[in-house]
Amino acid sequence: MSKSNVPALGLDIGTSRICLARHKGQDVDFQTQLNAFVTIPYSKMTESVLKKAGIPHTIAGQEMVVQGNESDRFADLLNVETRRTMTKGVLNATEPDSLNMLRKIVGSLLEPVDGRHKLVFTVPAAPLGAEDGLTYHEATLKQFLVESGHDVKSINEGLAVVYAEMESSNYTGIGISCGGGLCNVCFAYLSMPVLSFSIPKAGDYIDQSTSSMTGERANRIRLLKEESFHLNGHFADKNFQVLAVYYDEMIQSLVNGMKEAFSNAKNKPKIGRPVPLVLGGGTALPEGFRDRFEKILKASEFPVPVSEVRLAADPLYTSAKGALVAAMTDAE
Amino acid sequence: MIEWRATAIHDPVERLRYLRLVTSPTRRFRMGAEARRLWLVGLAALALAILSGNAGFGNSPKPTVRPLFLPPPVVVSRTWESNAGVWLVDQRGGAETYSNGLRIDNSFAVSNTPRDSYRVFEREHPDILHSHWKDSPAGIVFHTTESEQAPFEEGQNQNLQRISVGTLNHVRRNHSYHFFIDRFGRVFRVVKEADIAFHAGRSVWGDDNFVYVNLNSAFLGIALETLVNKDKPLEAATSAQIDSLRVLTQMLRARYQISDSNCVTHAQVSVNASNMLIGYHTDWADRFPFLEIGLKDNYLEAPASLTAFGFGYDPSYVESTGARLLPALMEAEDGLKASADRLHLPLGRYRLVLQKNYKEITAVASSIDAAKETTNEQK
Repeated sequence: MSKSNVPALGLDIGTSRICLARHKGQDVDFQTQLNAFVTIPYSKMTESVLKKAGIPHTIAGQEMVVQGNESDRFADLLNVETRRTMTKGVLNATEPDSLNMLRKIVGSLLEPVDGRHKLVFTVPAAPLGAEDGLTYHEATLKQFLVESGHDVKSINEGLAVVYAEMESSNYTGIGISCGGGLCNVCFAYLSMPVLSFSIPKAGDYIDQSTSSMTGERANRIRLLKEESFHLNGHFADKNFQVLAVYYDEMIQSLVNGMKEAFSNAKNKPKIGRPVPLVLGGGTALPEGFRDRFEKILKASEFPVPVSEVRLAADPLYTSAKGALVAAMTDAE
Repeated sequence: MIEWRATAIHDPVERLRYLRLVTSPTRRFRMGAEARRLWLVGLAALALAILSGNAGFGNSPKPTVRPLFLPPPVVVSRTWESNAGVWLVDQRGGAETYSNGLRIDNSFAVSNTPRDSYRVFEREHPDILHSHWKDSPAGIVFHTTESEQAPFEEGQNQNLQRISVGTLNHVRRNHSYHFFIDRFGRVFRVVKEADIAFHAGRSVWGDDNFVYVNLNSAFLGIALETLVNKDKPLEAATSAQIDSLRVLTQMLRARYQISDSNCVTHAQVSVNASNMLIGYHTDWADRFPFLEIGLKDNYLEAPASLTAFGFGYDPSYVESTGARLLPALMEAEDGLKASADRLHLPLGRYRLVLQKNYKEITAVASSIDAAKETTNEQK
């Protein structure tokens, strides 16, 4: 990306993490917060520690709510699950504090940004075979982002992967963001989204299924997964063995869903040459994920010729980067 | 050609900007002349490719995935289909039958003030100096009667019919709408199409070319007999009403060449001139079945009351209408801000300029109405 002085921000609002992308000099700077929070008992000492460390938190009566990255560690210490503002890609309807907490987490990322920016944030696509029920989610996020004083637009998460990674193919190809709640898929032709959908099996599904098999908390499984899990070779650790099984199941579901969607799509342009496929998102991070995905895709007789299956340069930040690119193209 | 041009642009952001410009139909109304020309060239190329079969759009019979945006030619095709001829087949026994299955009962039809020419305003310059005259209906406003309702059950037949007739007589006396659809899906003509009905009062809507003010003359009014209860979302309209509304809308659009952008709900057009806020009436603020009756989702259209005349809205409007209209309102606010920036005016000042235009337009309209009344009295 060339223009370093464009007042633009890209915000990936994922089920699991929220990532802000913006320019710092010639580079793109990424800041992330875990999209979760945990309630802990109030103590003056803890409050002082949190303040000193700059950890986002609020006081609610005799309790303190720790938001973002550190909520994970506090939950682990207290042996409880973190609470989540979103589930399956959208606002969590069963969590009464979801909107309030999401606002605070996003606010902690946006707070240091001076001036009015073009801000593009990510939204999921409708799950495969389901009605589009995303209007409330999108409108609500837009409303509170507008209140932060920026010019706000949304972008489909899969399309953001295309914008971040497919400059060399003139923004033609299949972008997949494997996140916490959903896997978002977008097939774009010359930057235009032709086909978009999501698969409701992703990182959270893997964590929860593994948790139910091993008895470990899902939160702990996620920490294990992010710290040292890989999809190559054999595992002595039972948690890893089970994780590998559910990873395989998730990839299989994703490929099956893609095959079904692309086979049945009415308005699918025939491009006349194979298109690239790029994998992004935190769930695509474990070593060996790309190889496993490519193997299952090859075996599936996928109806669209694919020139390459590539892991995004920085999978955790891909969607935020794509949103930033979209914001930059909107900026004058 | 598009790809070749794109490849020649080295800056990835500029390249993406160019591609989004030439491939995205939703952005066309904000483009300058050159950009609009480029977009039209792209659209024409795509349309030609599709007509000649070169674009290779698949023919799979069972699409299970809805694309985010359909390519432009699909929209063109849908407009053509919905404007295809619908003609009167038979007219006897106080009823009309049309070629698309529509049946209209004329037994409650009534005359009202004839629709004279009405004034419309250029979209780019919605003020009194840039107005034109039209005389045929340019759109449709959908209403709910918000009248008493009985449970929609077989055992309630007599009750349901009694209530419908009572409501029909009421709307007939008040010349409230052009058409009324009862809960069994029966279509009744109320005010004759050549006359105006008092259905929209203070209201504003705009299409690509014109802005329409106070829509009683410019738009036809259709009311569904219903009481929209937010706690019972499935009962907003019966399936029989939706079927009838589809064929009635199809007939009216074919007869008057009405664009689907101009088929909107009362909540989208209603304004309150005394406080310059939208949403004086909020019927069909959500859950209007646009797609089921063969129209695009017009809830996504930014209201011209905001963009052309600087109307505002308060939190109670958003609260009472729910999230359905919110994206369009935000889009309108964005548009308003962009226009103000282009003119180097603070947003508040720009809003006042637009509101002044609206007040001038309505003052002129009122004086014309008064002059007409005087002329009629002298006759």
